[in-house]
Amino acid sequence: MIAKKVLLVGNFGVGKTSLIRRFVLNQFAEDYISTIGVRVSAKVVQYENTAIKLLIWDVAGTSGDEKIPKAYFLGASAAMFVFDVSRIETYLNIDHHLESIKTLSGLQNITIVGNKKDLLTQEELQLVVERVSVNIDLITSAKEDENVENAFLELASQAIK
Amino acid sequence: MKKQTEDNKKDNRFELLRELLLVDDREKFAALSEEIILREKLSKRVQPLVDEKIEDLRINFPEYFGPTITETIKIQIRDSQDEVVEALYPIMGKLIKKSIVSEITKLSDSINRTVKEKFSVQQIVARFLKGKNYDAGVILEQVFEPFIEEVFVIEKDSGLLVGNYTRGSIADKDMVSGMLTAIKSFAEDAFSKEHQNLEDIKFDNFQLTIKNFKSIYIAIATSGVATLAFKDNLADTVDNLAEIILRDRSYLSDEVKLNALIERHFIDSNE
Repeated sequence: MIAKKVLLVGNFGVGKTSLIRRFVLNQFAEDYISTIGVRVSAKVVQYENTAIKLLIWDVAGTSGDEKIPKAYFLGASAAMFVFDVSRIETYLNIDHHLESIKTLSGLQNITIVGNKKDLLTQEELQLVVERVSVNIDLITSAKEDENVENAFLELASQAIK
Repeated sequence: MKKQTEDNKKDNRFELLRELLLVDDREKFAALSEEIILREKLSKRVQPLVDEKIEDLRINFPEYFGPTITETIKIQIRDSQDEVVEALYPIMGKLIKKSIVSEITKLSDSINRTVKEKFSVQQIVARFLKGKNYDAGVILEQVFEPFIEEVFVIEKDSGLLVGNYTRGSIADKDMVSGMLTAIKSFAEDAFSKEHQNLEDIKFDNFQLTIKNFKSIYIAIATSGVATLAFKDNLADTVDNLAEIILRDRSYLSDEVKLNALIERHFIDSNE
């Protein structure tokens, strides 16, 4: 079986841990658990008839101003940047964050995911899509289990490219 | 017309008198008997239900009342800790004392046996010839024999597990190797100066020894007292293993082959 390290990066409270919990354990917790630096989870996915073990590194922050060890980003095969569609501050400097992740990890492509879709109406979501300066790959809701599996499958496809 | 006798007349009078005097009593008697009959009927209908309920309660008592009783006991114990301690101390104290005495006796026997063996002329000569002269270490090694519990060969940057050996069973070795790499990176980032690496982590009886190489690192978890000789031997084994892996990189992509190599190196050579 192929094993790949993948990163989940994004500001505090955007729902990275909730996405992982939903994907790995199919659970959703309303309570907010602050991630201390990093947390590693594992899940095997089937992608195009290949079993891939994803070692998901849930990295708190994007190593911009935060004190995140740069080594967390090394050796990753794919990365997902998660922002909260209901909080503008989580995607306001998205270009800067993406650049920082690319530099630290050496990755060229980063999957961009807007989470907490359940908190906005369709019209509000459309406004967010227009406001975000980069192309959003997927809009998810960990709470309502929408597009979560697809987001990680996209990550797996990036990892084996 | 037939004439009534005197006795008959008397009887009739008594009967009439009784009827007049005992009207209330008869009514009460009738009501009571009706009630008794009703109760008997009710009892016959209710009895099976009650029996069934009692049986159900007997079988499911722990389920129905277990949590409540446990909670009550917990509260009771919490609120009367002093009384509990006073009540249990004589029993627990004796048990703990007995257990400690038993363990110390075992330890003392073991030390005596080891001292006797290790200070025999043959052993002293053997140690002298091997060039080992730290007797305390030898004794400690015998009493608290060190064991290799886990061996992880991990890719340095990604933290991906390349191969491993485990004496027990780890819940998720991939996750462990990932978190170990994260902890290692964190400690190195937070505390080290230039190019320094985390080499040891200790917790309870376990010691995690980490040896860093160019693209991999090897983490070995040991239990017991690791003497200098054991550490030296372990360091040599790790270096040899790393040399083999780094010379033949096919080990890094073949987990089964690498696991067999690890077992051969660490476990078979220590037996």
